[in-house]
Amino acid sequence: MNRETLRRLEMLNQLSLTEEQKDDVIRFFDAREADFEVIDKFFDTADVERMVHVMPVMTVVREDKVIKKFEREALQQNAPETDEGYWCVPRVLE
Amino acid sequence: MRYETVIGLEVHVELATDSKIFCSCSAHSYGAEPNDHVCPACCGMPGMLPVVNRRVVDFGMKAGMMLNCHINRVTTFDKKSYYYPDLPAAYQTTQWFAPVAVNGTVEIDTPAGKKAIRIKQIHMEEDAGKLVHDLREDTTHVDFNRTSVPLIEIVSQPDLSSAAEVEAYLERLKTLLRYARVAECEMAHGTMRCDVNLSIRPEGSTEYGVRTEMKNMNSIEAIKRAIEYETARHIDAVENGTEVLVQETRRWDDVKGKSYAMRTKETAGDYRYFPDPNVMPVVIDDEWYDSIADSLPELPEVKFERYTSEMGLGEYDAEQLTRSIALCECFESAVEVCGSAKDAANWVISEIMSILNTKGMTYDMLTVNGETLGRLIVLVRDGKVGRANARRILADMFDDATIDPEAYAEKMGFIVSNDTGLIESVVKAVVAADPASVAAYKGGREKALMALFGKCMKELRGNCDPQVLRVVLLAEIEKA
Ligand SMILES: [Zn+2]
Repeated sequence: MNRETLRRLEMLNQLSLTEEQKDDVIRFFDAREADFEVIDKFFDTADVERMVHVMPVMTVVREDKVIKKFEREALQQNAPETDEGYWCVPRVLE
Repeated sequence: MRYETVIGLEVHVELATDSKIFCSCSAHSYGAEPNDHVCPACCGMPGMLPVVNRRVVDFGMKAGMMLNCHINRVTTFDKKSYYYPDLPAAYQTTQWFAPVAVNGTVEIDTPAGKKAIRIKQIHMEEDAGKLVHDLREDTTHVDFNRTSVPLIEIVSQPDLSSAAEVEAYLERLKTLLRYARVAECEMAHGTMRCDVNLSIRPEGSTEYGVRTEMKNMNSIEAIKRAIEYETARHIDAVENGTEVLVQETRRWDDVKGKSYAMRTKETAGDYRYFPDPNVMPVVIDDEWYDSIADSLPELPEVKFERYTSEMGLGEYDAEQLTRSIALCECFESAVEVCGSAKDAANWVISEIMSILNTKGMTYDMLTVNGETLGRLIVLVRDGKVGRANARRILADMFDDATIDPEAYAEKMGFIVSNDTGLIESVVKAVVAADPASVAAYKGGREKALMALFGKCMKELRGNCDPQVLRVVLLAEIEKA
Protein backbone atom coordinates (compact mmCIF):
# COMPACT_ATOMS: atom_id res chain seq x y z
CA MET A 1 0.00 0.00 0.00
CA ASN A 2 1.35 3.38 -0.93
CA ARG A 3 0.16 6.98 -0.66
CA GLU A 4 -1.08 7.04 -4.25
CA THR A 5 -3.29 3.93 -3.85
CA LEU A 6 -4.61 5.28 -0.59
CA ARG A 7 -5.48 8.60 -2.21
CA ARG A 8 -7.52 6.73 -4.79
CA LEU A 9 -9.31 4.67 -2.13
CA GLU A 10 -10.06 7.83 -0.17
CA MET A 11 -11.63 9.33 -3.26
CA LEU A 12 -13.69 6.24 -4.09
CA ASN A 13 -14.98 5.94 -0.55
CA GLN A 14 -15.53 9.69 -0.24
CA LEU A 15 -13.32 9.87 2.84
CA SER A 16 -10.77 12.38 3.91
CA LEU A 17 -8.15 11.11 6.35
CA THR A 18 -5.65 12.98 8.50
CA GLU A 19 -1.93 12.31 7.93
CA GLU A 20 -1.86 10.27 11.12
CA GLN A 21 -4.84 8.15 10.01
CA LYS A 22 -3.18 7.60 6.64
CA ASP A 23 -0.08 6.19 8.32
CA ASP A 24 -2.27 3.88 10.41
CA VAL A 25 -4.17 2.61 7.37
CA ILE A 26 -0.99 1.99 5.41
CA ARG A 27 0.54 0.07 8.33
CA PHE A 28 -2.68 -1.98 8.66
CA PHE A 29 -2.84 -2.91 4.96
CA ASP A 30 0.86 -3.78 4.80
CA ALA A 31 0.42 -6.16 7.74
CA ARG A 32 -2.62 -7.86 6.09
CA GLU A 33 -0.75 -8.21 2.85
CA ALA A 34 2.06 -9.92 4.74
CA ASP A 35 -0.51 -12.32 6.23
CA PHE A 36 -1.68 -13.27 2.76
CA GLU A 37 1.86 -13.87 1.64
CA VAL A 38 2.24 -16.34 4.47
CA ILE A 39 -0.97 -18.15 3.48
CA ASP A 40 0.15 -18.21 -0.14
CA LYS A 41 3.49 -19.71 0.81
CA PHE A 42 2.21 -22.55 2.97
CA PHE A 43 -1.13 -23.53 1.46
CA ASP A 44 -2.01 -24.47 -2.07
CA THR A 45 -5.52 -23.10 -2.61
CA ALA A 46 -5.76 -23.79 -6.33
CA ASP A 47 -8.29 -26.62 -5.94
CA VAL A 48 -10.18 -25.20 -2.99
CA GLU A 49 -13.72 -24.27 -3.85
CA ARG A 50 -14.57 -20.65 -3.26
CA MET A 51 -16.38 -19.96 -0.03
CA VAL A 52 -19.52 -18.20 -1.24
CA HIS A 53 -20.72 -17.17 2.16
CA VAL A 54 -19.54 -17.31 5.76
CA MET A 55 -22.66 -19.22 6.79
CA PRO A 56 -23.60 -22.55 5.15
CA VAL A 57 -27.06 -21.24 4.33
CA MET A 58 -28.93 -20.51 1.14
CA THR A 59 -31.42 -17.86 0.35
CA VAL A 60 -35.17 -18.28 0.43
CA VAL A 61 -36.89 -17.10 -2.72
CA ARG A 62 -40.33 -15.54 -3.03
CA GLU A 63 -43.04 -16.01 -5.65
CA ASP A 64 -43.25 -13.37 -8.37
CA LYS A 65 -46.28 -11.58 -6.96
CA VAL A 66 -47.00 -7.85 -6.75
CA ILE A 67 -48.00 -6.55 -3.36
CA LYS A 68 -48.75 -2.87 -3.08
CA LYS A 69 -48.42 -1.79 0.51
CA PHE A 70 -46.62 1.51 0.68
CA GLU A 71 -47.96 5.00 0.18
CA ARG A 72 -45.60 7.45 -1.45
CA GLU A 73 -46.42 10.16 1.09
CA ALA A 74 -45.37 7.89 3.95
CA LEU A 75 -42.08 7.02 2.23
CA GLN A 76 -41.28 10.66 1.58
CA GLN A 77 -42.02 11.92 5.10
CA ASN A 78 -38.34 12.33 5.95
CA ALA A 79 -37.26 13.68 2.57
CA PRO A 80 -35.66 17.14 2.78
CA GLU A 81 -37.50 18.10 -0.38
CA THR A 82 -40.09 16.58 -2.72
CA ASP A 83 -41.88 17.96 -5.74
CA GLU A 84 -44.90 16.45 -7.50
CA GLY A 85 -44.10 12.99 -6.20
CA TYR A 86 -40.36 13.15 -6.94
CA TRP A 87 -37.52 13.18 -4.45
CA CYS A 88 -35.40 16.27 -5.06
CA VAL A 89 -31.61 16.12 -4.88
CA PRO A 90 -28.87 18.65 -5.65
CA ARG A 91 -28.68 19.02 -9.40
CA VAL A 92 -26.53 16.44 -11.17
CA LEU A 93 -25.92 16.45 -14.89
CA GLU A 94 -23.19 14.51 -16.56
CA MET B 1 -2.78 -1.08 -43.76
CA ARG B 2 -6.07 -2.87 -43.40
CA TYR B 3 -7.77 -2.91 -40.01
CA GLU B 4 -10.39 -5.08 -38.42
CA THR B 5 -12.92 -3.85 -35.90
CA VAL B 6 -13.17 -5.76 -32.64
CA ILE B 7 -16.51 -5.43 -30.89
CA GLY B 8 -17.88 -6.83 -27.65
CA LEU B 9 -21.40 -6.12 -26.46
CA GLU B 10 -22.97 -5.76 -23.05
CA VAL B 11 -26.69 -6.16 -23.54
CA HIS B 12 -29.12 -5.27 -20.76
CA VAL B 13 -32.48 -6.96 -21.00
CA GLU B 14 -35.44 -6.20 -18.76
CA LEU B 15 -36.97 -9.49 -17.59
CA ALA B 16 -40.71 -9.99 -18.07
CA THR B 17 -41.58 -10.56 -14.41
CA ASP B 18 -44.55 -9.03 -12.61
CA SER B 19 -42.64 -7.80 -9.56
CA LYS B 20 -39.17 -6.37 -8.89
CA ILE B 21 -36.08 -8.47 -8.23
CA PHE B 22 -35.73 -7.92 -4.46
CA CYS B 23 -39.14 -6.59 -3.35
CA SER B 24 -42.83 -7.04 -4.21
CA CYS B 25 -43.36 -3.72 -5.99
CA SER B 26 -44.71 -3.86 -9.53
CA ALA B 27 -41.99 -3.99 -12.18
CA HIS B 28 -44.20 -2.21 -14.70
CA SER B 29 -44.43 1.53 -14.33
CA TYR B 30 -45.45 2.61 -17.80
CA GLY B 31 -47.88 5.50 -17.29
CA ALA B 32 -47.58 5.35 -13.48
CA GLU B 33 -47.13 8.42 -11.26
CA PRO B 34 -43.52 8.98 -10.13
CA ASN B 35 -42.53 6.86 -7.11
CA ASP B 36 -45.83 5.01 -7.12
CA HIS B 37 -44.23 1.56 -7.33
CA VAL B 38 -41.77 2.03 -4.53
CA CYS B 39 -41.26 0.54 -1.05
CA PRO B 40 -38.64 1.02 1.68
CA ALA B 41 -36.48 -1.71 0.09
CA CYS B 42 -36.27 -0.33 -3.44
CA CYS B 43 -35.89 3.31 -2.39
CA GLY B 44 -32.88 2.35 -0.28
CA MET B 45 -34.14 2.91 3.27
CA PRO B 46 -31.55 1.75 5.80
CA GLY B 47 -32.06 -1.71 7.26
CA MET B 48 -34.30 -3.11 4.55
CA LEU B 49 -33.48 -6.63 3.41
CA PRO B 50 -33.81 -7.90 -0.15
CA VAL B 51 -35.77 -11.10 -0.88
CA VAL B 52 -34.98 -12.73 -4.22
CA ASN B 53 -37.80 -13.15 -6.76
CA ARG B 54 -37.76 -16.82 -7.82
CA ARG B 55 -38.83 -16.06 -11.37
CA VAL B 56 -35.81 -13.81 -11.89
CA VAL B 57 -33.57 -16.81 -11.24
CA ASP B 58 -35.83 -18.96 -13.47
CA PHE B 59 -35.41 -16.45 -16.29
CA GLY B 60 -31.68 -16.00 -15.68
CA MET B 61 -31.20 -19.76 -15.95
CA LYS B 62 -33.49 -20.01 -18.97
CA ALA B 63 -31.60 -17.25 -20.79
CA GLY B 64 -28.36 -19.02 -19.93
CA MET B 65 -29.58 -22.32 -21.32
CA MET B 66 -30.89 -20.68 -24.50
CA LEU B 67 -27.39 -19.24 -25.01
CA ASN B 68 -25.67 -22.60 -24.38
CA CYS B 69 -24.12 -21.42 -21.12
CA HIS B 70 -22.94 -23.37 -18.11
CA ILE B 71 -25.29 -22.64 -15.20
CA ASN B 72 -23.62 -21.92 -11.87
CA ARG B 73 -25.61 -24.05 -9.43
CA VAL B 74 -24.52 -21.81 -6.57
CA THR B 75 -24.96 -18.25 -7.70
CA THR B 76 -24.39 -15.20 -5.54
CA PHE B 77 -25.14 -11.49 -5.45
CA ASP B 78 -22.58 -8.75 -4.93
CA LYS B 79 -22.60 -5.05 -4.23
CA LYS B 80 -21.24 -2.68 -6.85
CA SER B 81 -20.48 0.70 -5.30
CA TYR B 82 -21.56 3.66 -7.33
CA TYR B 83 -22.52 7.09 -6.09
CA TYR B 84 -25.26 8.55 -8.19
CA PRO B 85 -28.76 9.62 -7.13
CA ASP B 86 -30.48 7.07 -9.37
CA LEU B 87 -29.13 4.35 -7.03
CA PRO B 88 -30.62 5.19 -3.63
CA ALA B 89 -28.46 2.70 -1.68
CA ALA B 90 -25.26 4.02 -3.33
CA TYR B 91 -24.62 0.53 -4.67
CA GLN B 92 -26.21 -1.74 -7.23
CA THR B 93 -26.94 -5.31 -6.27
CA THR B 94 -25.58 -7.36 -9.14
CA GLN B 95 -23.51 -10.52 -9.71
CA TRP B 96 -19.76 -10.44 -9.99
CA PHE B 97 -18.10 -13.49 -8.40
CA ALA B 98 -20.58 -16.22 -9.39
CA PRO B 99 -23.01 -15.05 -12.10
CA VAL B 100 -25.94 -17.32 -12.94
CA ALA B 101 -24.59 -18.35 -16.36
CA VAL B 102 -21.11 -18.42 -17.93
CA ASN B 103 -19.27 -19.60 -21.07
CA GLY B 104 -21.98 -19.78 -23.72
CA THR B 105 -22.25 -19.31 -27.46
CA VAL B 106 -24.70 -17.71 -29.86
CA GLU B 107 -24.53 -18.69 -33.49
CA ILE B 108 -25.17 -16.01 -36.09
CA ASP B 109 -25.44 -16.04 -39.89
CA THR B 110 -22.84 -14.01 -41.76
CA PRO B 111 -22.16 -13.74 -45.49
CA ALA B 112 -19.17 -16.04 -44.85
CA GLY B 113 -21.34 -18.65 -43.13
CA LYS B 114 -22.16 -19.47 -39.51
CA LYS B 115 -20.14 -17.76 -36.80
CA ALA B 116 -20.16 -18.56 -33.09
CA ILE B 117 -20.09 -15.56 -30.76
CA ARG B 118 -18.84 -16.54 -27.32
CA ILE B 119 -20.80 -15.40 -24.28
CA LYS B 120 -18.62 -14.57 -21.29
CA GLN B 121 -21.42 -14.45 -18.76
CA ILE B 122 -25.02 -13.56 -17.96
CA HIS B 123 -25.65 -11.91 -14.64
CA MET B 124 -28.82 -10.86 -12.85
CA GLU B 125 -29.07 -7.37 -11.41
CA GLU B 126 -31.36 -4.52 -10.50
CA ASP B 127 -32.06 -1.53 -12.72
CA ALA B 128 -31.47 2.04 -11.54
CA GLY B 129 -34.07 4.78 -11.12
CA LYS B 130 -34.79 7.66 -13.47
CA LEU B 131 -33.48 11.18 -13.09
CA VAL B 132 -35.36 14.15 -14.50
CA HIS B 133 -33.28 17.27 -15.03
CA ASP B 134 -35.65 19.62 -16.78
CA LEU B 135 -38.48 20.18 -14.27
CA ARG B 136 -36.59 22.83 -12.32
CA GLU B 137 -33.24 24.52 -12.75
CA ASP B 138 -31.92 24.11 -9.23
CA THR B 139 -32.58 20.42 -8.55
CA THR B 140 -32.67 16.99 -10.09
CA HIS B 141 -35.92 15.06 -9.63
CA VAL B 142 -35.66 11.36 -8.79
CA ASP B 143 -38.18 8.63 -9.64
CA PHE B 144 -37.48 5.20 -8.12
CA ASN B 145 -40.22 3.28 -10.01
CA ARG B 146 -37.57 1.60 -12.13
CA THR B 147 -35.08 0.86 -9.34
CA SER B 148 -34.86 -2.88 -8.71
CA VAL B 149 -36.68 -3.83 -11.89
CA PRO B 150 -34.95 -7.10 -12.81
CA LEU B 151 -32.38 -7.13 -15.61
CA ILE B 152 -29.98 -9.61 -17.02
CA GLU B 153 -26.77 -8.37 -18.57
CA ILE B 154 -25.43 -10.54 -21.36
CA VAL B 155 -21.70 -9.99 -21.83
CA SER B 156 -20.16 -11.24 -25.06
CA GLN B 157 -16.51 -11.83 -25.79
CA PRO B 158 -15.02 -9.41 -28.35
CA ASP B 159 -15.93 -11.74 -31.21
CA LEU B 160 -17.97 -9.38 -33.39
CA SER B 161 -16.25 -7.60 -36.23
CA SER B 162 -18.81 -5.46 -38.06
CA ALA B 163 -22.04 -3.53 -37.71
CA ALA B 164 -23.80 -6.27 -39.70
CA GLU B 165 -22.60 -8.95 -37.28
CA VAL B 166 -23.74 -6.87 -34.32
CA GLU B 167 -27.16 -6.55 -35.90
CA ALA B 168 -27.38 -10.31 -36.55
CA TYR B 169 -26.26 -11.02 -32.98
CA LEU B 170 -28.84 -8.68 -31.44
CA GLU B 171 -31.61 -10.12 -33.64
CA ARG B 172 -30.64 -13.64 -32.60
CA LEU B 173 -30.61 -12.70 -28.90
CA LYS B 174 -34.06 -11.16 -29.30
CA THR B 175 -35.44 -14.26 -30.99
CA LEU B 176 -33.99 -16.65 -28.41
CA LEU B 177 -35.11 -14.65 -25.38
CA ARG B 178 -38.57 -13.98 -26.83
CA TYR B 179 -39.02 -17.67 -27.66
CA ALA B 180 -38.15 -18.52 -24.06
CA ARG B 181 -40.65 -15.81 -22.98
CA VAL B 182 -38.01 -14.32 -20.75
CA ALA B 183 -38.14 -10.77 -22.07
CA GLU B 184 -39.75 -8.48 -24.59
CA CYS B 185 -36.40 -7.20 -25.91
CA GLU B 186 -37.81 -4.11 -27.58
CA MET B 187 -35.15 -1.43 -27.91
CA ALA B 188 -37.79 1.23 -28.62
CA HIS B 189 -39.43 0.43 -25.26
CA GLY B 190 -36.13 0.40 -23.38
CA THR B 191 -36.49 -3.30 -22.54
CA MET B 192 -33.24 -3.98 -24.39
CA ARG B 193 -30.23 -1.63 -24.10
CA CYS B 194 -26.78 -2.06 -25.40
CA ASP B 195 -23.23 -0.96 -24.51
CA VAL B 196 -20.78 -1.27 -27.38
CA ASN B 197 -17.07 -1.88 -26.65
CA LEU B 198 -14.94 -1.23 -29.69
CA SER B 199 -11.29 -1.25 -30.71
CA ILE B 200 -9.37 -1.78 -33.94
CA ARG B 201 -6.27 -3.74 -34.83
CA PRO B 202 -4.30 -4.51 -37.97
CA GLU B 203 -5.90 -7.40 -39.83
CA GLY B 204 -4.50 -10.71 -38.63
CA SER B 205 -3.14 -9.27 -35.38
CA THR B 206 -4.13 -10.98 -32.15
CA GLU B 207 -3.49 -8.04 -29.83
CA TYR B 208 -6.23 -5.64 -28.84
CA GLY B 209 -6.11 -1.90 -29.43
CA VAL B 210 -7.35 0.83 -27.10
CA ARG B 211 -10.98 0.14 -26.29
CA THR B 212 -13.76 2.70 -26.01
CA GLU B 213 -17.26 2.07 -24.78
CA MET B 214 -20.52 3.63 -25.92
CA LYS B 215 -23.25 3.25 -23.35
CA ASN B 216 -27.01 2.86 -23.50
CA MET B 217 -27.52 2.58 -27.23
CA ASN B 218 -31.20 2.06 -27.91
CA SER B 219 -31.69 1.41 -31.60
CA ILE B 220 -30.00 -0.96 -34.00
CA GLU B 221 -29.70 1.78 -36.60
CA ALA B 222 -27.93 4.08 -34.11
CA ILE B 223 -25.61 1.24 -33.10
CA LYS B 224 -24.66 0.64 -36.73
CA ARG B 225 -23.94 4.32 -37.33
CA ALA B 226 -21.96 4.58 -34.08
CA ILE B 227 -19.82 1.55 -34.98
CA GLU B 228 -19.00 3.01 -38.37
CA TYR B 229 -18.12 6.39 -36.86
CA GLU B 230 -15.98 4.95 -34.05
CA THR B 231 -14.12 2.60 -36.39
CA ALA B 232 -13.21 5.53 -38.65
CA ARG B 233 -12.20 7.66 -35.65
CA HIS B 234 -9.93 4.92 -34.28
CA ILE B 235 -8.29 4.27 -37.65
CA ASP B 236 -7.75 7.98 -38.16
CA ALA B 237 -6.11 8.27 -34.75
CA VAL B 238 -3.80 5.33 -35.36
CA GLU B 239 -2.94 6.12 -38.98
CA ASN B 240 -2.80 9.90 -38.93
CA GLY B 241 -2.27 10.68 -35.28
CA THR B 242 -5.34 12.94 -35.22
CA GLU B 243 -5.81 12.21 -31.52
CA VAL B 244 -4.55 9.96 -28.76
CA LEU B 245 -7.00 7.15 -28.03
CA VAL B 246 -7.73 6.56 -24.36
CA GLN B 247 -9.84 3.92 -22.67
CA GLU B 248 -13.01 5.84 -21.92
CA THR B 249 -16.79 5.88 -21.98
CA ARG B 250 -18.30 7.86 -24.83
CA ARG B 251 -21.77 9.13 -25.54
CA TRP B 252 -23.21 8.66 -29.03
CA ASP B 253 -25.20 11.62 -30.37
CA ASP B 254 -27.27 10.06 -33.12
CA VAL B 255 -28.61 13.39 -34.41
CA LYS B 256 -25.14 14.86 -34.92
CA GLY B 257 -23.70 11.45 -35.90
CA LYS B 258 -20.76 11.87 -33.51
CA SER B 259 -19.47 10.39 -30.28
CA TYR B 260 -18.23 12.45 -27.33
CA ALA B 261 -15.99 11.60 -24.38
CA MET B 262 -18.05 11.25 -21.20
CA ARG B 263 -15.63 10.05 -18.55
CA THR B 264 -12.58 7.89 -18.32
CA LYS B 265 -13.66 4.31 -18.00
CA GLU B 266 -13.99 2.89 -14.52
CA THR B 267 -12.08 -0.29 -13.88
CA ALA B 268 -13.61 -3.14 -11.89
CA GLY B 269 -11.58 -2.02 -8.88
CA ASP B 270 -13.33 1.33 -8.85
CA TYR B 271 -16.64 -0.38 -8.18
CA ARG B 272 -15.22 -2.22 -5.15
CA TYR B 273 -17.37 -5.28 -5.71
CA PHE B 274 -17.93 -7.32 -2.60
CA PRO B 275 -20.30 -10.15 -1.68
CA ASP B 276 -23.65 -8.78 -0.56
CA PRO B 277 -24.03 -9.95 3.04
CA ASN B 278 -27.79 -9.37 2.85
CA VAL B 279 -28.52 -11.93 0.14
CA MET B 280 -27.62 -15.52 0.87
CA PRO B 281 -26.34 -17.67 -2.00
CA VAL B 282 -28.98 -18.99 -4.40
CA VAL B 283 -28.60 -22.75 -4.62
CA ILE B 284 -30.13 -24.34 -7.71
CA ASP B 285 -30.93 -27.97 -6.91
CA ASP B 286 -31.53 -30.68 -9.54
CA GLU B 287 -35.29 -30.37 -9.37
CA TRP B 288 -35.18 -26.64 -10.02
CA TYR B 289 -32.57 -26.98 -12.76
CA ASP B 290 -34.48 -29.78 -14.53
CA SER B 291 -37.80 -27.95 -14.39
CA ILE B 292 -36.22 -25.06 -16.31
CA ALA B 293 -34.34 -27.31 -18.73
CA ASP B 294 -37.61 -29.13 -19.49
CA SER B 295 -39.44 -25.88 -20.21
CA LEU B 296 -37.11 -24.69 -22.97
CA PRO B 297 -38.88 -24.06 -26.29
CA GLU B 298 -38.09 -25.69 -29.58
CA LEU B 299 -35.91 -23.27 -31.57
CA PRO B 300 -37.48 -21.39 -34.50
CA GLU B 301 -35.31 -23.10 -37.13
CA VAL B 302 -36.28 -26.52 -35.74
CA LYS B 303 -39.96 -25.57 -35.90
CA PHE B 304 -39.52 -24.27 -39.45
CA GLU B 305 -37.99 -27.57 -40.50
CA ARG B 306 -40.78 -29.58 -38.81
CA TYR B 307 -43.54 -27.39 -40.27
CA THR B 308 -42.23 -27.67 -43.81
CA SER B 309 -41.09 -31.29 -43.89
CA GLU B 310 -43.39 -33.11 -41.45
CA MET B 311 -46.51 -30.95 -41.59
CA GLY B 312 -46.36 -30.06 -45.28
CA LEU B 313 -46.54 -26.28 -44.97
CA GLY B 314 -45.00 -24.03 -47.61
CA GLU B 315 -41.86 -22.07 -46.68
CA TYR B 316 -43.71 -18.76 -46.65
CA ASP B 317 -46.30 -20.04 -44.17
CA ALA B 318 -43.66 -21.63 -41.94
CA GLU B 319 -41.67 -18.42 -41.99
CA GLN B 320 -44.68 -16.34 -40.98
CA LEU B 321 -45.65 -18.65 -38.11
CA THR B 322 -42.13 -18.93 -36.68
CA ARG B 323 -41.89 -15.16 -36.32
CA SER B 324 -43.33 -15.56 -32.83
CA ILE B 325 -43.55 -18.34 -30.27
CA ALA B 326 -47.14 -17.24 -29.52
CA LEU B 327 -48.17 -17.80 -33.15
CA CYS B 328 -46.42 -21.20 -33.16
CA GLU B 329 -48.13 -22.31 -29.96
CA CYS B 330 -51.54 -21.18 -31.20
CA PHE B 331 -51.00 -22.92 -34.54
CA GLU B 332 -49.73 -26.15 -32.99
CA SER B 333 -52.60 -26.58 -30.56
CA ALA B 334 -55.13 -25.66 -33.27
CA VAL B 335 -53.68 -28.43 -35.46
CA GLU B 336 -54.03 -30.91 -32.62
CA VAL B 337 -57.78 -30.17 -32.47
CA CYS B 338 -58.66 -29.70 -36.14
CA GLY B 339 -56.13 -32.10 -37.64
CA SER B 340 -55.26 -29.85 -40.58
CA ALA B 341 -51.98 -27.92 -40.60
CA LYS B 342 -53.04 -26.15 -43.77
CA ASP B 343 -56.34 -24.85 -42.31
CA ALA B 344 -54.73 -23.85 -39.02
CA ALA B 345 -51.86 -22.03 -40.75
CA ASN B 346 -54.36 -20.27 -42.97
CA TRP B 347 -56.41 -19.01 -40.02
CA VAL B 348 -53.38 -17.91 -38.00
CA ILE B 349 -51.68 -16.14 -40.90
CA SER B 350 -54.56 -14.52 -42.75
CA GLU B 351 -56.92 -13.86 -39.85
CA ILE B 352 -55.08 -13.73 -36.52
CA MET B 353 -51.95 -11.94 -37.73
CA SER B 354 -53.98 -9.31 -39.52
CA ILE B 355 -56.18 -8.69 -36.46
CA LEU B 356 -53.01 -8.27 -34.34
CA ASN B 357 -51.62 -5.85 -36.90
CA THR B 358 -54.83 -3.80 -36.97
CA LYS B 359 -54.90 -3.66 -33.19
CA GLY B 360 -51.25 -2.56 -33.12
CA MET B 361 -50.34 -5.59 -30.98
CA THR B 362 -47.11 -7.57 -31.28
CA TYR B 363 -47.42 -11.24 -32.23
CA ASP B 364 -46.15 -12.22 -28.79
CA MET B 365 -49.17 -10.48 -27.24
CA LEU B 366 -51.59 -13.02 -28.76
CA THR B 367 -53.98 -14.41 -26.13
CA VAL B 368 -56.29 -16.42 -28.40
CA ASN B 369 -56.16 -20.04 -27.35
CA GLY B 370 -55.08 -22.43 -30.10
CA GLU B 371 -57.36 -25.19 -28.89
CA THR B 372 -60.38 -22.85 -29.17
CA LEU B 373 -59.23 -21.76 -32.63
CA GLY B 374 -59.06 -25.45 -33.60
CA ARG B 375 -62.68 -25.97 -32.53
CA LEU B 376 -63.74 -22.92 -34.54
CA ILE B 377 -61.97 -24.29 -37.62
CA VAL B 378 -63.84 -27.58 -37.19
CA LEU B 379 -67.17 -25.74 -37.03
CA VAL B 380 -66.42 -24.02 -40.35
CA ARG B 381 -65.18 -27.20 -41.99
CA ASP B 382 -68.27 -29.14 -40.90
CA GLY B 383 -70.42 -26.41 -42.44
CA LYS B 384 -71.93 -25.47 -39.07
CA VAL B 385 -70.75 -21.86 -39.15
CA GLY B 386 -70.12 -19.70 -42.22
CA ARG B 387 -66.62 -18.32 -42.72
CA ALA B 388 -67.70 -14.68 -42.36
CA ASN B 389 -69.45 -15.39 -39.08
CA ALA B 390 -66.49 -17.45 -37.87
CA ARG B 391 -64.32 -14.37 -38.44
CA ARG B 392 -66.64 -12.37 -36.19
CA ILE B 393 -66.37 -15.03 -33.48
CA LEU B 394 -62.58 -14.97 -33.76
CA ALA B 395 -62.52 -11.18 -33.42
CA ASP B 396 -64.57 -11.47 -30.22
CA MET B 397 -62.20 -14.15 -28.93
CA PHE B 398 -59.50 -11.47 -28.83
CA ASP B 399 -61.53 -9.60 -26.21
CA ASP B 400 -62.73 -12.63 -24.29
CA ALA B 401 -60.39 -15.62 -24.12
CA THR B 402 -63.04 -17.75 -22.40
CA ILE B 403 -65.38 -17.85 -25.42
CA ASP B 404 -66.50 -21.35 -26.38
CA PRO B 405 -66.97 -21.15 -30.16
CA GLU B 406 -69.90 -23.55 -30.44
CA ALA B 407 -71.91 -22.07 -27.57
CA TYR B 408 -71.05 -18.57 -28.71
CA ALA B 409 -72.13 -19.29 -32.31
CA GLU B 410 -75.41 -20.61 -30.92
CA LYS B 411 -75.91 -17.54 -28.77
CA MET B 412 -75.14 -15.15 -31.63
CA GLY B 413 -77.43 -17.05 -34.05
CA PHE B 414 -74.47 -18.08 -36.24
CA ILE B 415 -75.29 -21.79 -36.54
CA VAL B 416 -75.89 -22.73 -40.16
CA SER B 417 -79.46 -23.82 -40.65
CA ASN B 418 -80.22 -27.27 -41.99
CA ASP B 419 -83.82 -26.23 -42.16
CA THR B 420 -84.44 -26.55 -45.91
CA GLY B 421 -87.97 -25.25 -45.40
CA LEU B 422 -86.57 -21.94 -44.14
CA ILE B 423 -84.08 -21.74 -47.02
CA GLU B 424 -86.79 -22.46 -49.58
CA SER B 425 -89.13 -19.83 -48.20
CA VAL B 426 -86.37 -17.19 -48.16
CA VAL B 427 -85.35 -18.07 -51.74
CA LYS B 428 -88.97 -17.93 -52.90
CA ALA B 429 -89.45 -14.49 -51.40
CA VAL B 430 -86.17 -13.10 -52.82
CA VAL B 431 -86.84 -14.45 -56.31
CA ALA B 432 -90.42 -13.16 -56.29
CA ALA B 433 -89.29 -9.70 -55.16
CA ASP B 434 -86.61 -9.27 -57.87
CA PRO B 435 -87.95 -10.38 -61.26
CA ALA B 436 -85.47 -8.05 -63.00
CA SER B 437 -82.41 -9.98 -61.71
CA VAL B 438 -84.08 -13.29 -62.55
CA ALA B 439 -84.70 -12.12 -66.11
CA ALA B 440 -81.15 -10.80 -66.41
CA TYR B 441 -79.68 -14.12 -65.28
CA LYS B 442 -81.87 -16.02 -67.68
CA GLY B 443 -80.67 -13.60 -70.35
CA GLY B 444 -77.09 -14.78 -69.69
CA ARG B 445 -75.79 -12.37 -67.02
CA GLU B 446 -73.93 -14.50 -64.43
CA LYS B 447 -73.58 -11.51 -62.12
CA ALA B 448 -77.31 -11.34 -61.58
CA LEU B 449 -77.16 -14.77 -59.94
CA MET B 450 -74.57 -13.52 -57.48
CA ALA B 451 -76.84 -10.59 -56.57
CA LEU B 452 -79.73 -12.94 -55.82
CA PHE B 453 -77.43 -15.32 -53.95
CA GLY B 454 -76.12 -12.45 -51.81
CA LYS B 455 -79.62 -11.27 -50.95
CA CYS B 456 -80.62 -14.78 -49.82
CA MET B 457 -77.44 -15.13 -47.73
CA LYS B 458 -78.16 -11.80 -46.10
CA GLU B 459 -81.72 -12.83 -45.25
CA LEU B 460 -80.36 -16.05 -43.76
CA ARG B 461 -77.69 -14.04 -41.85
CA GLY B 462 -74.97 -16.15 -43.38
CA ASN B 463 -76.17 -19.29 -41.64
CA CYS B 464 -76.53 -21.49 -44.64
CA ASP B 465 -74.40 -23.96 -46.51
CA PRO B 466 -73.55 -22.08 -49.74
CA GLN B 467 -73.79 -25.30 -51.83
CA VAL B 468 -77.32 -26.01 -50.59
CA LEU B 469 -78.40 -22.43 -51.16
CA ARG B 470 -77.05 -22.46 -54.70
CA VAL B 471 -79.00 -25.61 -55.62
CA VAL B 472 -82.27 -24.33 -54.10
CA LEU B 473 -81.84 -20.92 -55.74
CA LEU B 474 -81.17 -22.34 -59.22
CA ALA B 475 -84.22 -24.59 -58.89
CA GLU B 476 -86.41 -21.64 -57.92
CA ILE B 477 -85.14 -19.53 -60.83
CA GLU B 478 -85.97 -22.43 -63.19
CA LYS B 479 -89.55 -22.34 -61.95
CA ALA B 480 -89.92 -18.57 -62.13
ZN1 LIG C 1 -40.02 -2.02 -3.73
